[in-house]
Amino acid sequence: MIPTELVGMAATDLDSLLLPLLNGAFGTAMHLTRNRADAEDLVQESALLACRGFKTFEQGTNFKAWFFRILTNCFYSKYRKKKREGTQLELEDSPELYMYCQTAAAGLHARTEDPAAVVMAKMDSEQVGGAIDALPEEYRVVATLYFLQDFSYQEIAEVLDVPVGTVRSRLHRGRRMLQKALWSVAVERGIIGELSPQTEDEA
Amino acid sequence: MHGPHRLTCEEVFVRLDDFLDRELSAEEIRLVEEHIETCAACASEHRFERQVVDSVRAKLQRIEIPAALRAGILARLASAGEEGQAS
Repeated sequence: MIPTELVGMAATDLDSLLLPLLNGAFGTAMHLTRNRADAEDLVQESALLACRGFKTFEQGTNFKAWFFRILTNCFYSKYRKKKREGTQLELEDSPELYMYCQTAAAGLHARTEDPAAVVMAKMDSEQVGGAIDALPEEYRVVATLYFLQDFSYQEIAEVLDVPVGTVRSRLHRGRRMLQKALWSVAVERGIIGELSPQTEDEA
Repeated sequence: MHGPHRLTCEEVFVRLDDFLDRELSAEEIRLVEEHIETCAACASEHRFERQVVDSVRAKLQRIEIPAALRAGILARLASAGEEGQAS
């Protein structure tokens, strides 16, 4: 039974607010759950919760943050895996400017003015997504909200109900860990070898 | 007499993450930009980090919701409106 205050016009308002977010919601759910079936269920359930709770949304405030708070809360309550899966990156091995230093050591800075663009151009969406998925959960959640939704520190803090300082710390560390994962992918897929072949003098 | 305050490379380095996220004050952003305009090394590091962030963002934001899932959510929202009108 839908409350009378959600008749007609209110449901239309929800449509106009929610529908533009669905692609991003699905992408976010994919990286949170790392499972397509769970991601579809998470988005479906979050949309339903948003519909049921729409009367609590204060018009004129940040609907996107409101909805993604529903989605992440739903993820934490139902879909997060108790057992850690996948590769866990070690923070201790993720110094600052990791890829910058690695590409410099590989000689790429001498070969191109924009080594980051050259390396990243050869990585596809699946590889980059895989690097995000390799992050430990607390860093993966923040990184996903940051990269997919362009949320500010404050918005991410509101979505996750944590202090802004916590968001900042997790995002900065998460980005360093992500660079290590991206570099690993680039090396394994032969991208770095292709970009920095040995010359006859170096061989 | 004190000259205008300028950031050192070390001071810019510790602010680089926040600068990438535009989470510095307007004055700090100005000071970082001023330094990057004149320091090739810091400009190179900033350009690299910015490119990685922008590239990751661009590649991750290409995913689309499955058509069937989108249709199901649309149907659920429409049903919610109809149920409300019928009651």
